[in-house]
Amino acid sequence: MARIGVFICHCGSNIAGSVDIARVLEAARKMPQVVYVEDNKYTCSDPGQASIRNAVKAHRLNRVVVAACSPRMHEKTFRKTVEQAGLNPFLLEIANIREQDSWVHSDDKERATEKAIEIVRLAVAKVARNYELYARQISLTKRALVIGGGISGIQAALDIANAGHEVVLVEREPTIGGRMAQLDKTFPTLDCSACILTPKMVELAQHNRVVLFTYAEVQSIKGFVGNFEVEVRQKARKVNHTTCTGCGTCWQKCPEKVPSEFDLGMGQRTAIYIPFPQAVPTKPVIDTEHCRYMKYQRFVASGEEDKKPPQCRVCEKLCPTGSIDWEEQDRVFTEKFGAIIVATGYQTFDASAYGEYGAGMYPDVISGLQLERLMCASGPTGGEVKRPSDGAHPKTVVFVSCVGSRDEAKCRPYCSKVCCMYMAKHAIMLREHDPEVQCYIFYIDIRAGGKAYEEFTRRAQEEYGAIYLRGRISKIYQEGKKLVVLGEDSLIGRPVELSADLVVLATGMEPSSGVVELAQKLNISYDTNQFLVEAHPKLRPVETQSDGIFLAGACVGPRDIPDSVAQGSAAAVKAAALFSQDYITTDPMTAMVDISRCTGCLLCTQVCPFKAISTQALRDGRVVASVNEGLCKGCGLCAAVCRSKAIDLRGFTNQQLFAEVTSLWQ
Amino acid sequence: MAVGFEPRVVGFLCNWCSYAGADMAGTSRMSYPPNIRIIRVPCSGRVDPLFVVKAFQMGADGVLIAGCHPGDCHYTEGNYHMRRRFALLQPFLDYVGIEKERFRLEWVSASEGKRFTQVVTSFTEQLRQLGPRKDRELMAAKGVQRAV
Amino acid sequence: MQDKIRAKARELLETGTVDCVIGYERATDGLTARPVFIYGTAGVDRLVFDQTCVHNLSKFLLDRRDKRTAIVAKPCDSRAINLLINEGQLARDKVYIIGVVCQGMPEVSWNRVSKEPQERCQRCPQRVPVVYDYLVGEPVEALPVTFSDVEQMENAGPAERRGFWLEQFGRCIRCHACRQACPGCYCSECFVDQLDPTWVGIRKDVTDNEMWNTIRAFHLAGRCISCNECERVCPVSIPLSLLNRKLEKDVGEFFDFQAGIKAETVPPFATFKKDEHLKGVE
Repeated sequence: MARIGVFICHCGSNIAGSVDIARVLEAARKMPQVVYVEDNKYTCSDPGQASIRNAVKAHRLNRVVVAACSPRMHEKTFRKTVEQAGLNPFLLEIANIREQDSWVHSDDKERATEKAIEIVRLAVAKVARNYELYARQISLTKRALVIGGGISGIQAALDIANAGHEVVLVEREPTIGGRMAQLDKTFPTLDCSACILTPKMVELAQHNRVVLFTYAEVQSIKGFVGNFEVEVRQKARKVNHTTCTGCGTCWQKCPEKVPSEFDLGMGQRTAIYIPFPQAVPTKPVIDTEHCRYMKYQRFVASGEEDKKPPQCRVCEKLCPTGSIDWEEQDRVFTEKFGAIIVATGYQTFDASAYGEYGAGMYPDVISGLQLERLMCASGPTGGEVKRPSDGAHPKTVVFVSCVGSRDEAKCRPYCSKVCCMYMAKHAIMLREHDPEVQCYIFYIDIRAGGKAYEEFTRRAQEEYGAIYLRGRISKIYQEGKKLVVLGEDSLIGRPVELSADLVVLATGMEPSSGVVELAQKLNISYDTNQFLVEAHPKLRPVETQSDGIFLAGACVGPRDIPDSVAQGSAAAVKAAALFSQDYITTDPMTAMVDISRCTGCLLCTQVCPFKAISTQALRDGRVVASVNEGLCKGCGLCAAVCRSKAIDLRGFTNQQLFAEVTSLWQ
Repeated sequence: MAVGFEPRVVGFLCNWCSYAGADMAGTSRMSYPPNIRIIRVPCSGRVDPLFVVKAFQMGADGVLIAGCHPGDCHYTEGNYHMRRRFALLQPFLDYVGIEKERFRLEWVSASEGKRFTQVVTSFTEQLRQLGPRKDRELMAAKGVQRAV
Repeated sequence: MQDKIRAKARELLETGTVDCVIGYERATDGLTARPVFIYGTAGVDRLVFDQTCVHNLSKFLLDRRDKRTAIVAKPCDSRAINLLINEGQLARDKVYIIGVVCQGMPEVSWNRVSKEPQERCQRCPQRVPVVYDYLVGEPVEALPVTFSDVEQMENAGPAERRGFWLEQFGRCIRCHACRQACPGCYCSECFVDQLDPTWVGIRKDVTDNEMWNTIRAFHLAGRCISCNECERVCPVSIPLSLLNRKLEKDVGEFFDFQAGIKAETVPPFATFKKDEHLKGVE
């Protein structure tokens, strides 16, 4: 039997000014199971709270209703109060008679009082059906998984490791470093990209709390915050990395040449390769698609009669440590983590979507990232800017901005944020390489928000003579050795025709391939552009709707290096804060299943936004729903769709809500 | 229309947006008709049609469900599910004679105190125009017995 | 038809493909049909199939979830089987469906069979089962769906509708036969039987009756396969199909969905579209 106490707050005159407290008291006294009523000047004050504690003891109350301000204001305060009085904190309900009554009906005391009585009646009806709830404590694995080994992921992994926790970094390419490794210089300081990145890569690889899995991918993810179980697939490298010393004999002698992905097709690599000289780990993988011996083996297996390809195995013969392992297969292993940081980064937009620019058709129309490789001292041309068609030094270079950015027709409505800056950087660098170079930059707007960014673009124009033309390009075509660029200078309103040696398309950012599949495995959301969605764009920028999963870098949206690094650190702090606890306390207001009523139609599993409901098989063979309290956030969608009412939500049970509805007509 | 008829309205408000929006109306000292009785739910998606039908069965003149705007749900998709449920339930109740004007689904965010007062005011006014439920008279006319 | 069903049933039982065949036999009035469970070849000749075999037998499958069973299924019954498979109540590989082509069933009551097909069958688009392992009868084309009865009700005034339904619900005796007959109503404990909270009052009151009838229909929204067994078994002849078909019409219009057409499908309440525009919702 419930013994309910009702405490009505005057809130000075805030409530008492427009509600007849005496009448509410009188009405509350007559409500079912109410054994004690009292009014206070300020219930939230120390004397007010003390009075609740005393009344609970003196009148053996086991439920409390506080009629005062909104529960969003003081529910926590009063939960603490009843807890101090020896009751379970969830045996309390708040009747909101201030925000939703006295303040909005101050002109009609009579009806405001009537409404206050009914609001109290609702709360009394509900609290009579409250029962004790306990927060559950779930253990956690203090180990983080970072997906993606670009600068953001590297920073996140380093920060977590330096905070004293173990980190596993999974990178699908054969090396970490990401896009930043492909850059020559960084704006606006013109630091050599490799010079600032590679020390971090090495630091990460040598950190004793970091385990690095390159050439590996996340295959599946189960579990919830503190207790993720992740299957990682280590792709077959055909090279034993424990014995390999990275001496380099194999990739120097391998006869099979393939266009280099790292150099974006501007240079070549061998079939056994490291993507670039400072790669981490500096140990090779064999590209099984192009390796001559693997091709030979596939030929033998297919049993075809045609001409046999050569059987090479040069790397195996020359390897001083015998590290080539033709039998190696993909390996899948499971690891446990407490937190996951997604830092999958971006890829550049494929400019061939713009037929009028001729990308892919004319060799001298290249992307900004390709130009980076041409300018880089460790790049395919050794840092000499030679145009791809004939190796000549370009003298007139035209830049086209917003290729795959700010263009709804190409489904890329967003600004890629970095292109304006890297075009200015390229203009400066090209002049530094060769003072005779003249750069023309076709732009729509110059977006240079950032520390020392605006000054940087000014420098490109004023000191390095880059000519900025506002307008779009309508067509680019080859004429002899030159590329003719047709465009419009919209500031003077005249068509422009330029004869260029090299055209650079400032291709925008788009999320890395495969990010959607990963998001689905993680059960986190992505937007129409396939960028991952943060829990709140302003206030929770590195968190996701799923607890324990954080985001960093350009997987969330276009980012430059400083922002990506800052986000990596921010995500690391979130993970470290999670790991500073010894266990995770769950909100007790979660869903629960009455297995005797559950028919196993599993509609609840389909509607749950958090995939918190799975199934369990009972001994009699029935399959019923089962709630994972670590994942459940207490929305109650499952409870609403369950036809047999087998699933219910603690804190907002069917009984409670039903009692509230019916109490209005008592 | 009955003279001085005051409709009884049951409002199911989601905790994160609409309930906070109703609070906002209070903190901004706005004013709306006192006919609504607010039941707090974690998410508009928690509202089972059973509660709605029960409210009408008890004699409610109107039922309001208010939740976060599409895309803003605290639980990411509860309001989308509610939208589907409502889209079927409202015409269905209308079909059995509980006019569709008596049942509303509205999106009110935590900052939209003004919008909340507008919703409640217009809904209450609409119900006043509609007048009381005619069930008793209709039952008497059809000779249907009602238990006491 | 009947001979083909018997032959198939005999074959299935002889080869041990199934342990039981659920079908129809002649009832004791010598005219109508009743469900029968045949466990051995000896009983196969009891099986009949004709215009009197109106029952939807699919619900009986729920009593034989884990046992191999064959069932005689008309088009609407086959949709019920799909529904039950979709909702995890049946495994497809445990059921052998002897599908029968249906031209519409007449009105059958004790000792009397009408000449015209029932109203529900006149509106039924399906003539061939949507799922079967063995088909009896020549396939015929599906008919267009019509909702003229629902539209007529929709076009009546609200007071008229209210009066109509209050009168209908007023007659309900809460025997729950509609639930017992419905293949979609398989909850182990129906909400109407629950006591805390007592969703539906246990009085025989028109408002409680209304609560029962509306929620029963709403629980079948997007699930009703329009076999109309509920209405057939109603002892006080409440036009329950008018309720079910209203929801069927709206589900079709809003969500482009028909229950039980496919076993592997996402029911309308299990999913949503972010940018869908639904009538009545801003």
